[in-house]
Amino acid sequence: MTEKYFKQELFPTIWCAGCGIGLAVKETAKAFKELGLDNNQISIVSGIGCSGRAAGYFNMDTIHGCHGRAIPVAEGLKRANPKLNVIVFSGDGDIVGIGGNHLIHSPRRDTDITVICINNQTYGLTGGQLAPTSAEGAVTMTSPFGSKYHPVNIQGLILANKRFFYARTTVFHIDHMRKCIKEAMQFKGFSFVEIITNCVETYGKRQGYNNAYEMLMDYKKNFKMASGKDRLEDNEIGIVRKE
Amino acid sequence: MTKKLLQGNEAICLGAIKAGMKFFAGYPITPASEIMHFLSRQKDIGFVHAEDEIAAINMVIGASLGGAKSMTATSGPGFSLKQEGIGLAHMMEVPVVVVDCQRVGPSTGMPTLGSQGDILQSAHGSHGDIFPIVFYPNSVEECYKYTIEAFNAAEDSQSPVILLTDTSTSHIYETADTEEIDKAAKIRQRTLEPFGKGTRHFTGLAHEKDAPKTRDSENYKRWIKRTKEKQTRAANNYSFYEYMGQKDSDTLLVAYGITSRVISPLRDRFAIFRPIRLFPILDELKIIAKDFKNIVVIEQNEGQYLHEVEVLLKRKIQGISVQGGEVKLSGIEEQLKVLGLE
Repeated sequence: MTEKYFKQELFPTIWCAGCGIGLAVKETAKAFKELGLDNNQISIVSGIGCSGRAAGYFNMDTIHGCHGRAIPVAEGLKRANPKLNVIVFSGDGDIVGIGGNHLIHSPRRDTDITVICINNQTYGLTGGQLAPTSAEGAVTMTSPFGSKYHPVNIQGLILANKRFFYARTTVFHIDHMRKCIKEAMQFKGFSFVEIITNCVETYGKRQGYNNAYEMLMDYKKNFKMASGKDRLEDNEIGIVRKE
Repeated sequence: MTKKLLQGNEAICLGAIKAGMKFFAGYPITPASEIMHFLSRQKDIGFVHAEDEIAAINMVIGASLGGAKSMTATSGPGFSLKQEGIGLAHMMEVPVVVVDCQRVGPSTGMPTLGSQGDILQSAHGSHGDIFPIVFYPNSVEECYKYTIEAFNAAEDSQSPVILLTDTSTSHIYETADTEEIDKAAKIRQRTLEPFGKGTRHFTGLAHEKDAPKTRDSENYKRWIKRTKEKQTRAANNYSFYEYMGQKDSDTLLVAYGITSRVISPLRDRFAIFRPIRLFPILDELKIIAKDFKNIVVIEQNEGQYLHEVEVLLKRKIQGISVQGGEVKLSGIEEQLKVLGLE
């Protein structure tokens, strides 16, 4: 029922077999459908990276801009065209790494956009380098002996604001993922959905996983649903918000 | 006739408003900040004091796609940061105006002193080949007039247009008759449909028909040919220059911006060509230059436009470079003597 939101003539997508991005794209479209949105009421803005290619598959006016700059492009678009539902759909390297400054300031201005951040903990499109979100000890192309650093606290960045909407979910918990996206889009102001996503090819295999299934099963095992909390623990998924 | 006392930067703001600008994003920097100050007080213009120069250029690109004529303004250090965004706007064919009030560089340089060091950056600053239209006014009245034309050219070419000034042109206060300019001004309407009406995909990747085409060399060749032709065609509607002085002299001086005003007393002895559209470089200069034995480009850099003029004319010419943020007629006259032209 979500066909109308996609340029299906461009399928198959560029994403590897077993990649979780497609699941997030599909649930995003289902959220549009359940919110009763017409294509002309939505725009997707992406940056660069595997997730950045998502914008091109949506059947509406979309932007695929520079690396790290999806949020400011979306902010300009929303301010010029306030009736549009403006969604940033991009990766952790794009939004939290190179574009990190905008993640501090656009929420501070409480720009009424929704950021869907596909967090696969790596730079997948360039071959699997250390991301600011990579786990401590993660073996990547630029941390061959294991990362020495603690991953960035995305939730902390968002919760530092006066008003906020922060959701964490995974590509295993698809109904929860859709609920997070829907509620984020209904939030008046800056809303952020972090979707933990499996990149088996350039990240998972270097951490000892054999396939996408094993990664998804780990999400099932490791993440607990939380509700009504002020702050999510590292192993929790849920929504925290302050109006 | 109503003359108003205005600053160059204020005139840029008024020109932008006249042209129909509805969104501005910027970041403070000397000597461009007055543009932000002025526009932050305008109630019917979307205004963002962005977190950095990069955010500002990307915001104006987003706003332009959203349906608003948009502008950002900066100086050298910020102009360098905006280059990736300028390349993006060029690739996606989005009309925006970028003002660069030049100061002495490189790096932080001499922030309060003017320069003309960003000439080549304005045309070639992005990676890849781009063909931007660049204007350079030399008075407050012209700041108003050519800001309007910059917006028009952006719409005509569907691309980022650069408006250069320098500290002096930005900060000088002069009387300007904007109403007189308004009488002749034509405001070009938007042709780009605002977002929310189609299924277009604007991407920085090479593309064809709203879809990325990242490994198709023939498509890229078609794209660059079409883009170059489009930019040249649009630029031809804006062939602004001034040609004055002793046209029977054997020496043609070429100067632009504040330098062109400093050397204007030399018009009694020399011919002077002042390009207002710096890029694409004016073919008219090729025709005019034929009549002169000596051609001297006088500019506040190490010969940036000299290089472009030499390429255009396919002959060796001379240059006077005025460095350090001070531009004085006496110094230029001395240099002309050294060249044996005085």
